[in-house]
Amino acid sequence: MARTEKTGRFFGKDLQAWAFLAPAGAILILFWVLPLVLSVFVAFTNWHGGDTAADARWVGLENFRMAMRDPRFFKSLWNTVNYVVWSVPLTIAVSLALALLLNRKVRGLGVFRTAFFLPYVTTWVAISIVWTYFFQQNFGLANYVLDDVLGFGSLRWLNEPRGVVEMSLTGLGHLARVLPPAEMLDFKNPLVEGPSLAMFSIILTSVWRDTGYFTVIFLAGLQSIDRTYYEAAEIDGAGPWRRFRTITWPLLSPVTFFVLIIAMIGAFKVFVPMLVMTPEGGPSGSTTTLVYFLYEEGFLSWRLGYASAIAYILFLIILAMTLLQNRLFGRRVFYQ
Amino acid sequence: MKTRRFKRSLLYAALVFAAALTILPFYWMVASSLKDFQSANQRPPTWLPLATYYYAPGPDGQAGEIEVGLLRDAAKPWSEIRKMDRIEIAPIDRLNDPEAQFTIAVSDLRRVRRPRWENYVEAWKAPALGNPERPVTFTRYFWVSTVTSVATTVGTLLTSVLAAYAFAKMRFRGKELLFYIVLATMMVPGQVLLIPNFLILAALPDYTFGMRWLDNYPALIAPSLASVFSIFLLRQFFLGIPDDLWDAAQIDGAGRLRYLWQVVVPLSRPALITAGVFIFLGEWNSLIWPLIVTTSPDMRTLMVGLQVFNQEQGGNFNLLMAASTMSILPVVILFFFLQRFFVEGIARAGLR
Repeated sequence: MARTEKTGRFFGKDLQAWAFLAPAGAILILFWVLPLVLSVFVAFTNWHGGDTAADARWVGLENFRMAMRDPRFFKSLWNTVNYVVWSVPLTIAVSLALALLLNRKVRGLGVFRTAFFLPYVTTWVAISIVWTYFFQQNFGLANYVLDDVLGFGSLRWLNEPRGVVEMSLTGLGHLARVLPPAEMLDFKNPLVEGPSLAMFSIILTSVWRDTGYFTVIFLAGLQSIDRTYYEAAEIDGAGPWRRFRTITWPLLSPVTFFVLIIAMIGAFKVFVPMLVMTPEGGPSGSTTTLVYFLYEEGFLSWRLGYASAIAYILFLIILAMTLLQNRLFGRRVFYQ
Repeated sequence: MKTRRFKRSLLYAALVFAAALTILPFYWMVASSLKDFQSANQRPPTWLPLATYYYAPGPDGQAGEIEVGLLRDAAKPWSEIRKMDRIEIAPIDRLNDPEAQFTIAVSDLRRVRRPRWENYVEAWKAPALGNPERPVTFTRYFWVSTVTSVATTVGTLLTSVLAAYAFAKMRFRGKELLFYIVLATMMVPGQVLLIPNFLILAALPDYTFGMRWLDNYPALIAPSLASVFSIFLLRQFFLGIPDDLWDAAQIDGAGRLRYLWQVVVPLSRPALITAGVFIFLGEWNSLIWPLIVTTSPDMRTLMVGLQVFNQEQGGNFNLLMAASTMSILPVVILFFFLQRFFVEGIARAGLR
């Protein structure tokens, strides 16, 4: 009797739990685990075309070797890095600033929060179309303000392949005399060029869209900081900057860390605004990001083997980034 | 005291400025969606959501007025047109027909400014290129997106509730390990799965009695029927439900499923709505997956349809803005009603 009860409990309970897990588990296995394994295989073949593996051959590391020799791959990698390096700090800075402002017992907090958050719920496709209109060369608002109102002259925005750093350095008449001449700065060096203005337009769009999301996270983090710290600091005569540096910043660091990871991973996967705002990879291919390149190779050229290899490289980059950030910031992060 | 007031007003000024910058693109989108082509494509831009209509007496002394369009002088501002003597016009529906053109005295021309609501009808009914016998319009896109998003939301909530409950309240061997494996799948970027999932869906008909998966609802719905984020969110919520409730339910003779359905689910409404909102939003807004797995215009989701409309109508910004407004309207309405759950869900994710 005791034995059957024991086995009954053992199997009965386990079985019931497994039954509860089965539906979600089946989907996760079929559409997450299995494809993850399958994509390793595909990445080692010269798989071509939509649905048949008939002429797919095992090619070993050839796809990865091909990527290492493919200037388009490196260009897309570089474009993606540019996008990440510019959009993430900008977004975080703006959203932290907004959260700090909102955290000062503002009246109408809900209204402001709604306003800032609204871009994030709207779809990338619609937003991209609106901002394409905004950056349109002849009658877009951007050039109207820049040229007609401020008198700076118009820009080519989404059609401009030149880097923004290069453009602003050559554009700044007075400062340029202090700086070494343009030949010496070597603007063809991609490190000096910065993202193309086309890419920068997309970066501005993404800062506008994502700021509200991170503001909400930062605000929740700020509100969880104990008020008494500030009161004590004020009694000790600490000014606002000192209070921010010694209380807010360290206590907020777990949130900042979380936001940094989320923002960087999200930015590495950017695709939709590139597809909608700059068709065919942008001027001189300057807005072709990794995922856009993957999409082009995989689903426009149908080179599924090669595209899988690129997908895997993207996966490894994101994984490495997460681990690296953990190591770099992990120790300095202040956990309450 | 005075500096404090001054600082306070500076703070509000900064916030209002930032809010205005955030809202401006939305205003511009809606305002432009109510303009005519001419007012949407001019510099300096017009700020009000108004289109210009012209009416004139018919060419052959017909009774009543007809709507007309200007020809050569269409781009000129009204102040200049008013000074002219005669002007070339044509009935609005025959602008490109040379035989329909005629001139009238400017004083006979009547100018009306009002929002052009017809843009929405035109954008909605504009048939996509492709099959002229069975034109595909936004009616179809909205339908496909609604079916997909609703089915995914309901299905994913079901699978997530079951799994989250097992992880939160049931004891079984390998639970810890399994939970970490499930969490680890969250680290995999969905982009890595695009190609293999496409191949799996292409191969599935051989194992499912020939059912078509690709370019059909199953491809849009099935792969997203499990959400690790939702499982995690619901599990956290379920952990907070006291076990006494389960003991009491057992005394009343309820099984796990009945307890789950009649006690846990009603108690967890906030968490369920939060999870549901994010599932729905993700599904409604997704582009790359539907773009890949659908080929026929019939199976386009709203986002794919909008992108195709953008390609086909390039430059018709008044119609494009109308289409964009229509496509974001459902999520914006959802957001205004369920805002609390959006904010809570995100804030909680950040403060784990």
